[in-house]
Amino acid sequence: MSGKNLDLEIPFYIVREIEETGAEYVEARLHTREEIGCILKNGQLEPAIVTSSYGLGVRALFDGTLVFSATNIIDRENAKKVIEETLKKGKNASNLTRNKIKFSREKRIKKKWAAVEHQKLMDKSFEELIKMLRELDNIVLEEKDYIPMRFLELEISAEKKLFTNSQGTFIEGYVPRLYIGGFLTGLKEGKSVQKTIEFGGSGGWEIITELEVFEKFRKQVQVIKEILEKGQKTVPGIYDIITGPEVTGIMVHESIGHPFEADRILGREGAQAGESYLKPTDMGRRIGSEEANISDDPTIPNSYGFYLYDDEGVPARRRKLVVNGVVNELLHNRATAREFKTKSNGAARANKFDREPIVRMANTYVEPGDYTFEELIKDVKKGIFVNSFMEWNIDDIRWNQRYVGHETYLIENGEIKHPLINPVIEVTTERLWSSLDARGKEIQFWAATCGKGDPMQGAPVWAGGPYLRFRNLEVKTR
Amino acid sequence: MKEILDEIVNNVFKKALELKVDDASVIAVYGIENMARFSNNSITVIDTLNEAAVFLYMIKDGKKVVGSTYSVGKDELDKFVGRLFSSMQFIEKSSDTVPLPKNSFKYLGKNDYDDKIEKLGEGIVDCCERAINAALAEGAKRVSGTISANVEMCKIRTTGGIEEEDRVSYMSANIRAFSETNSSGHGLSCSTYLSKFYPEEAGKTAGMFSRESKKVGHWSEGEYDLIISPTVAADIFQMIGISASAFRIDTGTSFFKDCLGKKVAVESLTVEDYGTIEGGFGGRKFDDEGIPTQKNTIIENGFLKTYLHNTTTAKKYGTNSTGNAGIIAPHPWNIVVSAGDMSVEEMIRECRRAIYVTNNWYTRYQNYMMGEYSTIPRDATFLIENGSIKYAINGTRISDNIPRQLLNIKAIGKDRKWIKWWEVEIPVYTPTILVEKTRITKAQL
Repeated sequence: MSGKNLDLEIPFYIVREIEETGAEYVEARLHTREEIGCILKNGQLEPAIVTSSYGLGVRALFDGTLVFSATNIIDRENAKKVIEETLKKGKNASNLTRNKIKFSREKRIKKKWAAVEHQKLMDKSFEELIKMLRELDNIVLEEKDYIPMRFLELEISAEKKLFTNSQGTFIEGYVPRLYIGGFLTGLKEGKSVQKTIEFGGSGGWEIITELEVFEKFRKQVQVIKEILEKGQKTVPGIYDIITGPEVTGIMVHESIGHPFEADRILGREGAQAGESYLKPTDMGRRIGSEEANISDDPTIPNSYGFYLYDDEGVPARRRKLVVNGVVNELLHNRATAREFKTKSNGAARANKFDREPIVRMANTYVEPGDYTFEELIKDVKKGIFVNSFMEWNIDDIRWNQRYVGHETYLIENGEIKHPLINPVIEVTTERLWSSLDARGKEIQFWAATCGKGDPMQGAPVWAGGPYLRFRNLEVKTR
Repeated sequence: MKEILDEIVNNVFKKALELKVDDASVIAVYGIENMARFSNNSITVIDTLNEAAVFLYMIKDGKKVVGSTYSVGKDELDKFVGRLFSSMQFIEKSSDTVPLPKNSFKYLGKNDYDDKIEKLGEGIVDCCERAINAALAEGAKRVSGTISANVEMCKIRTTGGIEEEDRVSYMSANIRAFSETNSSGHGLSCSTYLSKFYPEEAGKTAGMFSRESKKVGHWSEGEYDLIISPTVAADIFQMIGISASAFRIDTGTSFFKDCLGKKVAVESLTVEDYGTIEGGFGGRKFDDEGIPTQKNTIIENGFLKTYLHNTTTAKKYGTNSTGNAGIIAPHPWNIVVSAGDMSVEEMIRECRRAIYVTNNWYTRYQNYMMGEYSTIPRDATFLIENGSIKYAINGTRISDNIPRQLLNIKAIGKDRKWIKWWEVEIPVYTPTILVEKTRITKAQL
């Protein structure tokens, strides 16, 4: 990384120079990311990985035309080129900007923030990372007769952003993150089961304990063995469904989080990630039962999607997307907030210096209810407990979705029975959330990397919630 | 561009040699991307990305490390190499270390770099206007899309004595049009030459499909013959290329495990991977170990002929590198599918009960080894009955099995086209494909 004075000087210079040409809004973000990681492929150590990215992203709004420029050649000479290029592009595109873009005006902020980190992540050596992966690998090896193929990876990273804009905001933010990923293949007597496993969080090395990595990983290994030994065919039909937090999480992320991104509702992702079943006039529309209470909150400590200020310099806060089954709040950046005549709720994120900030989720979840797990299944006569999944997808307005269970069990007369193989839930968003009739007390989160934008941006997120009970859903099988 | 790359490569290489590593491969890349995005017929953002990056692979005493950085000033590069080197003290010796190859190679070069793309600049906005107007002229009401102009230069230097460079340029247009009823159509144009880039055609196709899919009718879940456009076929065939990687075989994420030499598809299907091919913009003439890229026939007349290798996986499998490194994972460059002799119209006439899918997204697997997957058709999707299109249908999902589908290919079109867009990352040159007996499912309403 370049020297400290240069770090501050160039973005300030660019913002000042572009603003003086009459731009309505200008921002500059110096964005660094350092990562180290290692991979074990069937116990074999692959080359250790060290990556770093460092660069400057600049956005400017000229008479309703938005221009984004990025470079990692950061000196005065190149800064002048960035300014010239930005001005030229803004002027040239204005003829085709038929819908003028406006930004909401937000408070000026001067702040330095960081995720709480007790045992500094980036102080960890490769030796410690490899040791950790070996310990996980050994858990799989205990069941090598069932799981002959395995892929494990561990990555620690530190992300630092210096943000300034033409409103006088200056924010410095720092988030260290840990990610552990695994892919296990179970094989026995002609049966085959596969599972992707992901853990992620922000903070120091202590989050490994918070995330219960070893306990949950060991459980996943045993689940594969159990499916191979005892899994039975799924009989298609109508069932009550109990979802575990991992399945709750993917459902809420895909069918509520994404369609509540206001940029999609306005059509901005139309040619890529798609649009939304929601229309701009749908605030207050019922999309689920009274039990559907769904939020997104970037400020959860240790979360994978943690941040306190977004990449447009707006404070992050919890967003109550659905309250008692009704559309309550969308995810906004400055542009969509202005269009909806409201204020930004801090949902603009950019995953690298060369990506523009766009509307993203952070940590999306179903709010907890008041049932224990036992109470949820007690009066289920014919049901399936879907605790985890493997295959899933959803259409581009987020209405028609599919989840194929991994760890699943038949429920009969309130009792958990044998594991099932590949039960498929294929349902519309409204049917799904209207079928929700009870929520568990405790919530858990799962890590994922969410894709959106063009060029593509992967954003670290958590998705989760409690155990949920859905009544009378159709179940198919592969 | 060239001067910056030379300086970066030489700085990193010199520093690596000072540290007395056994082997090093340095690759520097300088890329410029100009992109314009639009929705609702209006520009939403103009992007200019101008960046350099360096990738370094080092081996010392059997220990291997690989890294990349975007901090390309001399001091930062020295620090990066030093950091990478010092991290080697903490890692284990690998049992599968293979020295980098020595230079005795002849590189096949393509010469389709187009300076006009590099100089297009603000002309990209004009391309957007042409695409939007073409879609509107077909009856669309709203048009969204991305048009990008990309140039990239790449240089490699290795301790094996290899020093080569290559460059690529390409244009791409991804257009989606919506009618007043929100029926939608999709159109693409990708080319390494500005003169062969047709944003109007992409807009026209998107607009035409948005108009033709307005009349929507009923359909039932079940087995159908399936006509998949080049855009959809590209999504399937990029997975054929990815699944041929020896890394995917080892990790259980390929349906080609234990299939070498065996029949995996119908006889009429041949699938190749090319590092350098005119019109292909996914490759270059050398791989990450400096080995020349080549034409690899993955599937020949229905038989699986090779996996894709770097030197490490090749040693394990007792064969030679195929020029597809990836230091960690070998990967395909450009996928080319053999052409057949049928037109789309002839395919439609052949079908008694079929579905014609023009675009798709969100392909996910329940089991990679078995090839069990589903994907969602989007934009214009049509029901075919007794040899003609009946009407458009909504809410379909292809839920099937890749190995089964490869053996169920009934016809291959003659309409090959280069495809790369948001959902298809590896450039694929493919025609329309007709697959028999594919399972199509729908959601509980």
